[in-house]
Amino acid sequence: MLVGIDVGGTFTDGVVLDNGEIVRWCKRPTNTKRLQDTIEVVIDDLLTEGSGQEVERIVLSTTLITNLLATGQLEKAALVVIPGPGLNPYELRLADNYFVLQGGIDFRGREIAPVSRSEVRETARVIKRAGIKKVAVVGKFSQRNPSQEEQVASILYNEYSDLDILMGHQISGELNFPRRAITTYYTLITRDHWSHFADEIEKVLRARGILVPIEIMKADGGTMSLDASRHMPCQTAFSGPAASTMGAFALTMDDMTSVVVDIGGTTTDLSFILQGEPLHASKGAKLGGRYTHVKALAVRSVALGGDSVVRLQGGKLTIGPDRQGDAACFGGPVPTPTDAFNLLEGGKLGDVDLSYRAVASLVEDETKVADLAEAVVQEFIDILCQNIREMMRSWEQEPAYRVWEIVNRRRVKLERVVGIGAPASAVIPRLASRMGCQGFVNRLSTVGNALGAVVARPTLQITLHADTQTGTYSTDGKVKKLPDLSRIQMRDIKELGEKELRVLTEEKGMVDYFCEREFFLEEQFNVIRGWSTSGRIFDVGITISPGVIKGFKGVKT
Amino acid sequence: MKPTGLVFFPAFDWAISPTHPEREERLLYTRDQIFEEGIMDLHQITEYQPQMAADKDVARTHFCVPTVREQATDAHRISCGGALTIADALMRGEIRNGFALVRPPGHHAMRVSHGNRGFCNINNEAIMVDYLRHHYNVKRIAIVDTDVHHGDGTQEIFWHDPDVLFISFHQDGRTLYPGTGFIDEIGGPLAQGYTLNIPLPPGTGDQGILYVLDNLVLPVLREFKPELVINSAGQDNHYSDPLANMRFTARGYAELNRRLAPDIAVLEGGYSVETALPYINMGIIMAMAGIDFQYLHEPDYEPGLAQESRMRMEVIKQIIGSLRKTWRNRDKLLEAARNTREKFYQKHKSIYYDTDNIHEQQMETLRLCPDCPGYLTIDSHARFHNGFDNRVYCLSIPWQACRTCVQEGNELYEAMKKRHSQHDYIYLQDKHSDHFLRYDCTAGKEIKIEQD
Repeated sequence: MLVGIDVGGTFTDGVVLDNGEIVRWCKRPTNTKRLQDTIEVVIDDLLTEGSGQEVERIVLSTTLITNLLATGQLEKAALVVIPGPGLNPYELRLADNYFVLQGGIDFRGREIAPVSRSEVRETARVIKRAGIKKVAVVGKFSQRNPSQEEQVASILYNEYSDLDILMGHQISGELNFPRRAITTYYTLITRDHWSHFADEIEKVLRARGILVPIEIMKADGGTMSLDASRHMPCQTAFSGPAASTMGAFALTMDDMTSVVVDIGGTTTDLSFILQGEPLHASKGAKLGGRYTHVKALAVRSVALGGDSVVRLQGGKLTIGPDRQGDAACFGGPVPTPTDAFNLLEGGKLGDVDLSYRAVASLVEDETKVADLAEAVVQEFIDILCQNIREMMRSWEQEPAYRVWEIVNRRRVKLERVVGIGAPASAVIPRLASRMGCQGFVNRLSTVGNALGAVVARPTLQITLHADTQTGTYSTDGKVKKLPDLSRIQMRDIKELGEKELRVLTEEKGMVDYFCEREFFLEEQFNVIRGWSTSGRIFDVGITISPGVIKGFKGVKT
Repeated sequence: MKPTGLVFFPAFDWAISPTHPEREERLLYTRDQIFEEGIMDLHQITEYQPQMAADKDVARTHFCVPTVREQATDAHRISCGGALTIADALMRGEIRNGFALVRPPGHHAMRVSHGNRGFCNINNEAIMVDYLRHHYNVKRIAIVDTDVHHGDGTQEIFWHDPDVLFISFHQDGRTLYPGTGFIDEIGGPLAQGYTLNIPLPPGTGDQGILYVLDNLVLPVLREFKPELVINSAGQDNHYSDPLANMRFTARGYAELNRRLAPDIAVLEGGYSVETALPYINMGIIMAMAGIDFQYLHEPDYEPGLAQESRMRMEVIKQIIGSLRKTWRNRDKLLEAARNTREKFYQKHKSIYYDTDNIHEQQMETLRLCPDCPGYLTIDSHARFHNGFDNRVYCLSIPWQACRTCVQEGNELYEAMKKRHSQHDYIYLQDKHSDHFLRYDCTAGKEIKIEQD
């Protein structure tokens, strides 16, 4: 028995999957102040007394991190950066308590300017006086050489031993210093709250006899263990849309190219599955208005939902962006797109008389009701089409750095529209016919998000940068010595990467998925000085990308 | 404010040869630096994917022997396409200015291209200028070549065009490839003064180069009033460049671009891949995007580097004085050329392709037209080191051509086709009608060069 729960902004969905069949599902309003209470209610809805031990897997997706960063009720922390030469570090001002230190590491991990011990000690005193207990220390190119971050951290500790310090290289090995700084800082300020939440969840679930490791949905369409999430809470942001995409993936299970349209109450989330692979955002998730190193699926949120308020003012039709409760056909106060679709589809979604009355309230003449409903539906479909096309175009036009990538230019040939969410059954057929492709929607579309959470497999990604001239390689925030090989080849580096990945999968309890690894990056450069090769630089990336758990073959409808 | 457009195309899978300066590694550390800085995430920057330059785009500028495909590989077409992408974005009003950070480079490629010279096969800026003229009707354009090597290819292509002001400053040709770019090279008879060359003494640094900018380049630009300014942005004036001997710094480059304020910059040379390029490229991007660059410097930068010796400054001041005179007198020079009553102007040229080891002999003939820059013919004979040779006849009608030049030029092309000459190929480049033909004399076959 597998349990998936998607805690959304308005509603929380839960499903129980048993032998490839959804045996139970429920939908409850979300208590945004205490998410753990909502989870408690939903789990009690899903499980019968004493059936906790039968749960083999439980996965949650939540909006907690997004809420935390939006409300800003977080602990005070300092961000200390070692930027070296480049952009003006003061303009980068990423946090209120922000300190710029001397020092510098270059792109090959060489120290180009020393850290000033007295400056760090002085910074420690200022931090102490401000009553700050948490410090993020992030240097440019620290992933290539973390020694200056470590040096600064150790001086800070010496001055002030009860500091909670997090270093940039512990958070990301990717290039992009501002994203590393902001991700480290956000991780630092959210991780206590997240850990507290994790404790509560664990208590709720353990009390119901669920003893299996709890998993958390990530923004990249995969899962991680609750324990791992305590170190990387930011990766749980935007896990809702990721769960929906994985739900669409689980419902279709083929190699087609689809756009996933998840129609919620106030927003519609669009994402892509390209030839059977969920598409990732090229720049990482944006948190608090800034790009981060949180790997995320490419999701576009359109301010248009099934419950958006429909208005007709001075002959001009507008939809949303606000919501005033349920659609009229479910007893809500105002006409909504759901009502317009419901009217045209003869009551497919809810009470057709209620929909009629709501839409009719906007026009003087009863003969114009159908026309207005048609206009609302057209507008709704138009906006979605336009957004889908823009997303396709922006993916096709993403920068590329190799000749073969440009020659074999990307083209999206959209084959299908997959619907998730309650109004999908009425919206998708019309949207698909407008886009000139197939539509996919079935009775499980309404719980697609929770289904996605329950079947998504764990994911992991590492990059490894090796430089034979310095004799080192860096991966996952660690810099190590390269093995002593006279002539290191790409295959040696790839083997090294696999070894590192293997260790990580063991640590993260996902060794079953090690066999799913794929290389997504293999770059090799000869370092020429004078006229001969004096070294080699390798960049290798391995991923266990999003997919479904072992044994899942599809869901009975 | 609109963003600065950026095409970054490092061609990580292309090299002239494995150990050649123009190899995969060239922009690797630049990639590391600009990605680590996160400059593409800033709202001041918009990154574009390069397009591929079409056959016709290349043929509008070059006579590629025997074909466009033979001279312009995919890598060349993408590099050049990067410049065209920036030009499009600029003309569509999406960006305030743009930088094509692309390789392979192009400024040594001349009108006729038999092979690679100075690491270049086709000329990215020149193709972009002709593209801008055809697609966007831009007339007056200034190209400022800031590469350490004389931009002899670009100079040759616009030699007879008074609507393109070409200014190149570079290390003195007596001490560096390609050995040209002296102060008496000032343009063809009907475009005199619209080519200006500033040969700088080896060792010139920030102070000297900014002096040239302030005292010659900027005043001349103000008078010329171009619709667009293009920086042919080589980065080998840097103090650490292995192929040259100058002392320019990354901040100097940034300052140069801030003052010059080019609409478009296109990367040319620069082979100090670790010590210079990551910092200079950052500097150019920052200056163009209006981002503060006071914290940008090379790891081994010392403020004293920018200081110029008195002797060197004297040499530079003399050169500038002489060139300002040339610029002032340009109308008189032009007038005199038009009054010679000669119908044609002829010049013999000898061109060497260092990369591919080709010797080319050219006889260039220009119609001294009273109404337009005149049509041009080039009789070109290239000898390859393996004994192979190619003889071609090229006819170019400028886009500003008068009716007589268009007509005479086309008639001449038809006559050449019928004449059983010793040429292997005959080309017609009619920029006025945007019509490009290639005639294979052996096969007796004519091909119209199309978009692809």
